Amino acid sequence: MNANALIAVMVILPIASALFLNLLHKKDRTIKILAIITAIVIPIIPLLTPYGSHFFGGYVPLAQNATLAQGLPSLITGTQLFQFHPGVMYVFTSAQQLMVFVLGLITFFAIFTFLNETKRPSGVYAFLMFMGTASVSAILLSDDIFNIFVFFEIAALAQVGIIVASGIKNNYETALKYILLGNIAGPLLLLGIVILLGVTGNVNVTDMIFTFKQGYVDPNSPVILMALALIAFGWLYASGLPPFHTIKSAVYSKALPHGAALLQAFSVFTLVAIGIIILRLFSYNSFTNIAIIGISVIAMILGITMAIVQTDYKRILGYLAVGELGYIGIGLGLGTAFGITAGLFQAVNEAIITSFLFIGFGTVLYKTRTSNTRKLGGMMYVNPKVALLVLLAGLAMAGVPPLNAFQSKLMLIQAAIQSGLPELGIIMILLSIVTFMTFMKAFYTIYMRPKPKELEILDNKIPRSTVISLVALLIICIILGLFPQIATNSLQTLAAGLV
Amino acid sequence: MSFYDIILKRIRKIQEKAEEEEPITNVTASAMLTAELTLIASVLVAVVMVRLIHPVLMIIMIAAVLIIALMAMPIMPRLRREQNDDLNNMMFYVVVALGIIVALFYWGNLNV
Repeated sequence: MNANALIAVMVILPIASALFLNLLHKKDRTIKILAIITAIVIPIIPLLTPYGSHFFGGYVPLAQNATLAQGLPSLITGTQLFQFHPGVMYVFTSAQQLMVFVLGLITFFAIFTFLNETKRPSGVYAFLMFMGTASVSAILLSDDIFNIFVFFEIAALAQVGIIVASGIKNNYETALKYILLGNIAGPLLLLGIVILLGVTGNVNVTDMIFTFKQGYVDPNSPVILMALALIAFGWLYASGLPPFHTIKSAVYSKALPHGAALLQAFSVFTLVAIGIIILRLFSYNSFTNIAIIGISVIAMILGITMAIVQTDYKRILGYLAVGELGYIGIGLGLGTAFGITAGLFQAVNEAIITSFLFIGFGTVLYKTRTSNTRKLGGMMYVNPKVALLVLLAGLAMAGVPPLNAFQSKLMLIQAAIQSGLPELGIIMILLSIVTFMTFMKAFYTIYMRPKPKELEILDNKIPRSTVISLVALLIICIILGLFPQIATNSLQTLAAGLV
Repeated sequence: MSFYDIILKRIRKIQEKAEEEEPITNVTASAMLTAELTLIASVLVAVVMVRLIHPVLMIIMIAAVLIIALMAMPIMPRLRREQNDDLNNMMFYVVVALGIIVALFYWGNLNV
């Protein structure tokens, strides 16, 4: 087998496994075995796959096909046709490797926790989780903007399914709202893609950039600017940036904790993947970076201020997760190699930390069946070890050293100052402090204040697998905090290519 | 009447309008106050970036934001009421955001 075929396997394996799991209704043991094997294999594949490209159907550009290219007239070899990508292409570099690996790792922890916290694991639920992972992996890998749109839609449907399957009160309503808003954003994103296709004659991002650079199309034409605006709008929906921050935080709060951990990872990596496409295609237009920074600042301010005033800890986490997306956006918007590296590093860190928090706080839901902080208290006595792990997760999110987000937030602040925007650094510091305060408020009300008399704590013991997942996530946070170069070395090549 | 009392009064009024039955605690009021200060401070710092367009415009905008903030204070209870899970509200903001994005990308590019 061609080694680069493994690039496609990163998407095909979770889809195949998902489809098979969907058929295994009521076969609990088989579901568990198949789901856990798939969840273990998913993060391993990117580590084994060599960097390169995969051309679906073997349709390589003529320039890369020595047999076909031989003897072709200059009418073809001298034009865009010679470079043109006729099929769907996936690109796999060190940055994709890291992000697909981290996504796979979060999928593994989500599946591992789900299988052990659920008495009768549902094959359909595992199907949805794997379909979402496959879709977001494809979005990260694909160089074909129409292929990205297809997986954007599949990811949205998988997310709706994860909410519907949670069984949490009013989950159907939230799922319906999410899909209705998707019915506005999805078609507009498609319209943006169609405009680009119509103007450039391509859906391959590399080909489109070639078209712009060679001057075949005026990149500042009103039609292209409209396409940019529509694609940016679709990006906001996929990632949960304003005005979609409210529904995104609601989505997280209506999913089960392991589901929410995965959903936020989907949002983070979709933000990064489509954000990179926007930067690749439209970075010639300086307004693109200004718009990304503006939206990110709004997301940070709205997300974090709204988190403070919530009384449901899942909603607090949901809004904090939205606020943290703003940090990633600022990194991308700064447009410097260092800034983009910092933004991508923050994305990796945020995906890990927020999963850590959702799974950690999920133990409270597991023991009490409530997420309302007004009704909670005294959970420190129930399980002090888990409480400590959750506290460390909160410290990581706030950017306390030596944990991972400290490094990425520090890099972001340095990048902002280097770019002549110290105000962004001040806002990031201020909001990190408020994030810490918000987390501590939730932590205090859930764990440290006296237990309310009416709070009923269930006898069911927190599964060991959940604690193992939390410890593993903490170790990753510490490793990336102490040795950030493990991640930044992988990300800086991609970042440098975007400048 | 202290600012804390104003916040309490405003939260109570908004809760009455929304027919919410949750009690107003010290934690609720303190959280609202923190959010209020964070919001105003962050927006003011963000507006300083307008200096890159023109320093005079920055001064005018800071003054405008300060005046609006003082007149509209407390903003957070209203913001919270607006940022709810009502589909109509969400749709409204989505359509407004789409209009702003399209307008800014279309005309913004011509002047940067």
